[in-house]
Amino acid sequence: MAENPFDPVTLSKIANMELRARLIVDGVLSGIHKSPYTGSSIEFLEHKEYSPGNEIKHVDWKVLAKTDKYYVKQFEEETNLRCYLFLDASGSMGYQSKGISKFEYAATLAASLSYLFLKQSDLVGLICFSDRVLHYVPPRSRVTHLHTLLNVLTELKTAGKSNISAVLNPFIEKISHRSLIIVLSDFFDHTEKILHQLQHFRFKRNEVILFHILDPYELTFPFETVTFFESMEDERHILADPKSIKEHYLSGMNYFLGQFKQSCLENQIDYWLIDSSTPLDQALIKFLARRESSLRPARKT
Amino acid sequence: MVSFLNPIFLLGILGASIPIIIHLINKKKAVSYKFAAIDFLLETNKRISIKFKIRQLILLILRACLLMFLALSLAKPFITNSGGGAEEKNIPTSSVIIIDDSFSMQYSDRQESFFSSAKMAAKRIIDALKKEDEAAVITCSSPTFLVLPELEDDKKHLLNFVDQTQPGFTPTHIAPALDAAVEILSTARTAVKRIFLLTDMTRSGWDPQWFKSGHEKLRRTVSRVHILDVSEAKPLKNIALTDVEPQLTPMEKNTEVHIKVTIANFSPAPVKDLPVHVFLNGKKSTQGFFHIETNTSETKEFFLTAEKGKDHYGWVEIPGDNLSVDNKRYFTINASQTINVLLIDGDPKTNIYESETFYLEKALNPGREHLSSINSSLCSIHEINTITFADFNIVFLCNVETLPQEKIQELEKFVQEGGAVIFTLGNKIDPEYYNNALGALLPHRLHTTRTFSSASPLSGEQPLHLKVTESVHPVLRILSEAQINMLSLAKFYRVFYVDPTPLGNCKTICSFSNDTPALIERQVGRGKSVLFTASIDRDWTDFPVKSFFLPVMQQLCRYVTGSMSEEIPKEILVKHAWQYPCPYDMNVIEITNPEGTKTIIPPQFVDNEKYFVYKETQAPGIYAVTVNETLHPQFPAYFPVNVDATESNLAKIDQNEIRACMGGTQLSITTSRLEKESHVLLGEATKTLWGQLLLLTFCILFIESFISRK
Repeated sequence: MAENPFDPVTLSKIANMELRARLIVDGVLSGIHKSPYTGSSIEFLEHKEYSPGNEIKHVDWKVLAKTDKYYVKQFEEETNLRCYLFLDASGSMGYQSKGISKFEYAATLAASLSYLFLKQSDLVGLICFSDRVLHYVPPRSRVTHLHTLLNVLTELKTAGKSNISAVLNPFIEKISHRSLIIVLSDFFDHTEKILHQLQHFRFKRNEVILFHILDPYELTFPFETVTFFESMEDERHILADPKSIKEHYLSGMNYFLGQFKQSCLENQIDYWLIDSSTPLDQALIKFLARRESSLRPARKT
Repeated sequence: MVSFLNPIFLLGILGASIPIIIHLINKKKAVSYKFAAIDFLLETNKRISIKFKIRQLILLILRACLLMFLALSLAKPFITNSGGGAEEKNIPTSSVIIIDDSFSMQYSDRQESFFSSAKMAAKRIIDALKKEDEAAVITCSSPTFLVLPELEDDKKHLLNFVDQTQPGFTPTHIAPALDAAVEILSTARTAVKRIFLLTDMTRSGWDPQWFKSGHEKLRRTVSRVHILDVSEAKPLKNIALTDVEPQLTPMEKNTEVHIKVTIANFSPAPVKDLPVHVFLNGKKSTQGFFHIETNTSETKEFFLTAEKGKDHYGWVEIPGDNLSVDNKRYFTINASQTINVLLIDGDPKTNIYESETFYLEKALNPGREHLSSINSSLCSIHEINTITFADFNIVFLCNVETLPQEKIQELEKFVQEGGAVIFTLGNKIDPEYYNNALGALLPHRLHTTRTFSSASPLSGEQPLHLKVTESVHPVLRILSEAQINMLSLAKFYRVFYVDPTPLGNCKTICSFSNDTPALIERQVGRGKSVLFTASIDRDWTDFPVKSFFLPVMQQLCRYVTGSMSEEIPKEILVKHAWQYPCPYDMNVIEITNPEGTKTIIPPQFVDNEKYFVYKETQAPGIYAVTVNETLHPQFPAYFPVNVDATESNLAKIDQNEIRACMGGTQLSITTSRLEKESHVLLGEATKTLWGQLLLLTFCILFIESFISRK
């Protein structure tokens, strides 16, 4: 991974963009995210009859004067987003055909998102994993928290097998607040198990976004000469003539991607397939733009 | 049994291991690549991997086979003859090696000539002989073999003989050589008799007639004939000078020479602007250019002027090619001296055509100029005292009644010293006077005249005719066959009979139909005396108006003066004898060959005639004839020796044709390039395999490229 995952160009492009979560999580700090809850806020929403226990300060004295009834002002409450970034650091993420490895790409993306969230005063937590949790950084919203995250990201090395479902499982109970769950991985694992765990997150009304990061070579398989392919996670290997297996490989890969995407759609999981050769800024802008456009109708309601 | 011509290439079979090694190295060192999505590879590759492995294995085998077959085909394998070969290996053999040393074997389109290849092959055959084998080596140079070599087992001697053999300048004579080989092998002690014929297979050397009758003896005597085509069956091309014919036109002071040059193109392509140079007496005289189509010849004439009365030599030359022997052809010009003839007319008439010498004078010099080289002077008997015989070469006494005594003595002295006298008779001749006064010169004593005429009341006999006594006599040799047959057309109504007893060393050149001598010659001292027993005008005969009168008279003059150069053939072919009539006073001549070697030639008798015969015409060129180291005017000072142009045509005889000619003779023909292996030379290789192997290699290459691309 690059020492500084922040590409100034990328950050400058994304600085003014806002990530709006589909679901509002509880929060007390000021923010720009819409909350499903009423409360003290700048933006008036409606009046409600006073009942014992309501804050006296919220009583609308003007309405009392006109109607002689006690009404309490209700405001749109702006709350903070709680985001958990799950970053796959298994051996397979270390693959790179040219330029940047999948892990480097995913880490950079995670760093960019973290910065974005923190800039919005959202809480960002980071879970790096392979077949187990390698690093867990609880969600914070302090500006200094970014340094903690970046330190973890820069020091991390890819190794071991991936076991996403095993890693996600404890967090289903651990994450009590409705949160934004972002998983960055190549998902070379048991697809069904992963989706099963993610369904649990969804069940608990969390929003789930999957960044499926693959290398261009994994998508096109452009090999020519006879090659001795070795696994990056275990001892498996194979000597193959790429030309003869290319067709079968690509059909297998496309089938996998198609099935995965379909399952995500069915479970209302936001799925993003990203080619690691795609410039990060483009990928991020595209992602944010689409999310914003998809959230706009909900904002009106 | 499979053997190899280039066994060194068998090492190349080790090359078959190269693909295997590469495969192993590749497998071991195969581009190792860490790949994340290996699950997909493992899933998809289960079935394909097996196919891939099989394909790799097939490719490996094909590549190994490709290199192996290539090495094998370069090693040139062949199957040795299991029949004759095996038999010959176990028992002693007798072999005759025939080396074609004809001049076409000097053909060379690479570093060594065909002849060198043939010698090399002969040496290898000798080397391959076993201790108990015997062999003899002969060449094709001579159509007749005087002494045949015996079979011997001394390899060193045989190799020495091969070393000393040199290519000749004669054409190929395969048939006589095979005859000789059969004769040599008929004395062989062993049961296996082989003939090795090392030749370039030019068609001209093969005589189809011989094979019609000769192959039976060959088949019975010889176990096998091995023919090695040292030309490797390649088509040969050649441009050759096939004929150079000088023709002389005597002029007043000089001789105009027309040289007809014929050049043949035996090449598959036409020749354009071929320069031809004509040299006379060592200096370039003229040149021209020839355009010759394929397999045709073209003739052009070149004009030169030569000094009269001298012998000249020269040659025609074209640029060198693969066969240089026939690019130069020699010629000589014998512009002989003028013969001065004195005609003494014993019966002159007022009408010139009635004179005794009218026809003779016209015959000896038919033109206004001295075109015949015979200068005749006419005088009557009254002018004879003013004439000196020594100023002439020949004196004709035509119906001369008498001669002054002092003139008779002068005439005898003239003849004794090399002059010639020719007597022609007539009605003025008194036999008794002639016999008494001129007995020292007359070949025979004159007897009486006799008339033969059906018109005469005295005799009912038919006129006499001429007939040839000696067809080969130089005087008559100039006549064509038709002219000789026409001799009998001349009618003689009256002739002189002569006494049957000759007066000296006499010879009858021709006689009458009743066997009475008509033309008799006698050697008198250094000169000659000739007697014609009829008149030379038309009084007694119509001989002077016949067409053969002129050539006979001119030839008679040349004969009696010894100027018979026209008798010598225009050119002599290599190894053919040069033959020239020996003048009576000449005991020895010296001939210098083109290399400068001098040979002294004494005369020898041929058909009772003395001739100088020279047989050492081994090489083409100009041969000089000298007497006491000076060119002698009585001889042609030079004679040319050329190669036989039939050998220049290098068209080949077809192998099937040879097989057909050979009848049932066991035959093997090898056309491959000479290699160290002796099996091919020994004719034991009946079938070569490298062609098929090479074809197989290409097939494998094709399949390999097809599979590897797929």
